[in-house]
Amino acid sequence: MLQLILNGLITGSIIALGAIGLSMIYDILGLVNFAHGDFMTFGGYLTFFISLTFLRPISFIPLTYDLLLSAILAIIGVGLFSILLDKIIWKKLRKKGAGTVTLLITAIGIALALRNGIVFIWGSGTISLGIPISQAIEIFGLKITFFEIISILVAITLMLLLDFLLKNTKIGKAMRALSDNQSLASITGINVDKIISYTWFLGGAYAATGGILYGLITSFRPDMGWILLLPIFAAVILGSIGNVYGAMVGGLIIGLAQETSLVFIGSRYKIAVSFLLLIIVLLVKPEGIFGGK
Amino acid sequence: MILPSLVNYFIYIGIIIGIYGLFALGLNLEWGFTGILNFGHVAFMGIAAYTMAILNIAGLNLFISIIIGIALSIVAGVLIGAPTLKLRGDYLAIVTIAFSEIIRYFYINEGWLTGGAGGLSNFNQLLGFLPSQYKQIGFLIVTLALLGIVYVFLEKLINSPWGRVLKSIREDEEVSKALGKNIYKYKIQSLAIGSGIAGIAGILQAFNNYLVLPSSYKPLITFYAWIIVVLGGSANNKGSLVGAIIFVAFFESTRFLPLGDVRVGSLRMIIIGLLLILLMLFRPQGILGNKEELKLDI
Amino acid sequence: MMNEILRAKNVFSGYTDLNILEGVSIEVEREEIVSIIGPNGAGKSTLLKTIFGLLETRKGKIYLRNEEISNLKPNEIVKKGMGYVPQSKNIFPSLTVEENLEMGSYIDESGFEESKQEVLSIFPDLKDKVSAKTGDLSGGQQQMVAMGRALILDPDVILLDEPSAGLSPELVNVVFEKIKEINKAGMSILVVEQNARKILKVCDRGYVLEMGENRLKGTGKELLNNKKVEELYLGG
Repeated sequence: MLQLILNGLITGSIIALGAIGLSMIYDILGLVNFAHGDFMTFGGYLTFFISLTFLRPISFIPLTYDLLLSAILAIIGVGLFSILLDKIIWKKLRKKGAGTVTLLITAIGIALALRNGIVFIWGSGTISLGIPISQAIEIFGLKITFFEIISILVAITLMLLLDFLLKNTKIGKAMRALSDNQSLASITGINVDKIISYTWFLGGAYAATGGILYGLITSFRPDMGWILLLPIFAAVILGSIGNVYGAMVGGLIIGLAQETSLVFIGSRYKIAVSFLLLIIVLLVKPEGIFGGK
Repeated sequence: MILPSLVNYFIYIGIIIGIYGLFALGLNLEWGFTGILNFGHVAFMGIAAYTMAILNIAGLNLFISIIIGIALSIVAGVLIGAPTLKLRGDYLAIVTIAFSEIIRYFYINEGWLTGGAGGLSNFNQLLGFLPSQYKQIGFLIVTLALLGIVYVFLEKLINSPWGRVLKSIREDEEVSKALGKNIYKYKIQSLAIGSGIAGIAGILQAFNNYLVLPSSYKPLITFYAWIIVVLGGSANNKGSLVGAIIFVAFFESTRFLPLGDVRVGSLRMIIIGLLLILLMLFRPQGILGNKEELKLDI
Repeated sequence: MMNEILRAKNVFSGYTDLNILEGVSIEVEREEIVSIIGPNGAGKSTLLKTIFGLLETRKGKIYLRNEEISNLKPNEIVKKGMGYVPQSKNIFPSLTVEENLEMGSYIDESGFEESKQEVLSIFPDLKDKVSAKTGDLSGGQQQMVAMGRALILDPDVILLDEPSAGLSPELVNVVFEKIKEINKAGMSILVVEQNARKILKVCDRGYVLEMGENRLKGTGKELLNNKKVEELYLGG
């Protein structure tokens, strides 16, 4: 059971990284970003691409640094890609005052194009970064691999970093202001479009990080992010939309629920557990456990 | 010999258009005319198909199995709609997609009932009594006839007093509430009918494939219906048919690109994805849709 | 005499194709409190929104210190020295009081600490609440945070949209006292009010709008004693 809880924390960390960005974007833009899972996948594949195309040929870089550098570049890349999409698509729809469905369909369009773009270039199978499989080490009888430890540490660090940004920086405070009251934010002179760009960058970068970590502890597949999307929705809604702390907690709860459900119903319905949780939360307490604003 | 195979190919395309046309008409009633964001439409297709297959394999008469299958889709529509139709639109979208995925996991996992990932194929054929050379054309006629019946039924429905209430719900939920119309009830009815139509499409698809498979009921298929409805124009039945024809034609015309299955498949979806984005940016009302109706986006 | 700071000349504006304002003109002079009263739908709030660049000026011109500002964006107008407090939803509820004030100085952070102290000296009630979540404060305190936020950049003119809305009678008096105090510190104020009797006692001059047009104008006293105003807005 303790092992399952540990596994739940690992899965939960990754779901939380995805949930943070989805929640922030939903909150500020009213957009259910169906492409968010595919941003995660894109992060993983971009790491793979940068590493194999640019860094491996330079043979003197040790594999660990190669991977770290590729991952950082990929995370920044997905963040910038998110801003780009905002500039060429979302901003235009915002100015037109597009409704829920228009936004939803556009997000699905981006999701389909991105996911299949990945399949078109890299194929539909799994890809390998050529890293030796890390052996699980035992701590107090619990098995955990190197990348799993890294995942938990990175997730915790990024959550603390986000908390710091939101509470102590001008941009972070403006993000919270925007989430509270967009029209007042523009009245006070906050450059709304710029803050939205920063939000997209953060959301995209956190998603990419989650995707890279998920790929390292499982495998890189074109549909890896899409499969994570519904558990991420569950985490976001459970933690109350727009509440990034809720998204973090929601992610951990969903991760724990999925893994510990093994004891009760076996592995076959592992993913369905989070869907069920999602439906129950929406029916019983649609404002989430942390309440509305 | 090339001519008969070409004819057969067009018959096949006609059948696919009919099935997708029906599937999209069901969604159009729910979304286009009632404003329900159903992102689990494919589930109701699967429920009818699986029910029909399971019952028929168990020995029940095929016709009765079909009727029960469609009835169960309608019942499922009511059961899903009852607790969820009061939710905000985007929440409803997420709940319904989650529901359709749970159902799909059920098909995969409960192999004793559903045949698991390999699905079910031992059910009787709809036109088993016909000589084999007439089976395809016969099935096309059945499909198009059902499409025609459903189309006429829907056109009559939306021009009936019931349909006019839907229109007023769409235009102003508050006003029709004030008029004392129970919107919730109308939404459930719309979802039930739409699910029944999806069920008909599901049964036809099962016969066309000689197979029901969990992978036929992925969320992607629901997105296909959305693409068709949005492309043709929401709240316009003719638009759904036009959308289905364009969609299937696009799918089939790209089939022969010399890129290999995986690449053709992905290229197709890239194009569809980009097309959706462009459509939303420049013509959100679709080909035949009415811009004024879309302004009332819920 | 020509000490004018804000002038709207024959302004047309509205939300839809229909005009709400059909040629409204007003003037505010330095260190003056000017009120706008009138029935619901007369276009009072619309006028403030148009001056502040939230709605398009379709015809006519708006000047700040003789410089035309018609159709500038709100953040450009803030930079030119105007503040605006909307009628409702005028605070960031999940931000602390201090953070709300900080957002007021978003475009120019220099001197924030100093102006924060000045604002807190005008609203001493807020002094021990700087770290409290603004959404948890009382309605009166929230209104003070909203005004404080608009004051933080020390604008020359401030537009107030129904500052007394939703407040208890005692709190209304407090808010009106504050308006006088801010004005004494040298700020010009343009205020829209439903509470005509109270605002006319406080203001230097007032305008009565009806159906998107100027109906009457005069000093506060003149309007208070005007038969028609009394009949229509002062409850007879």
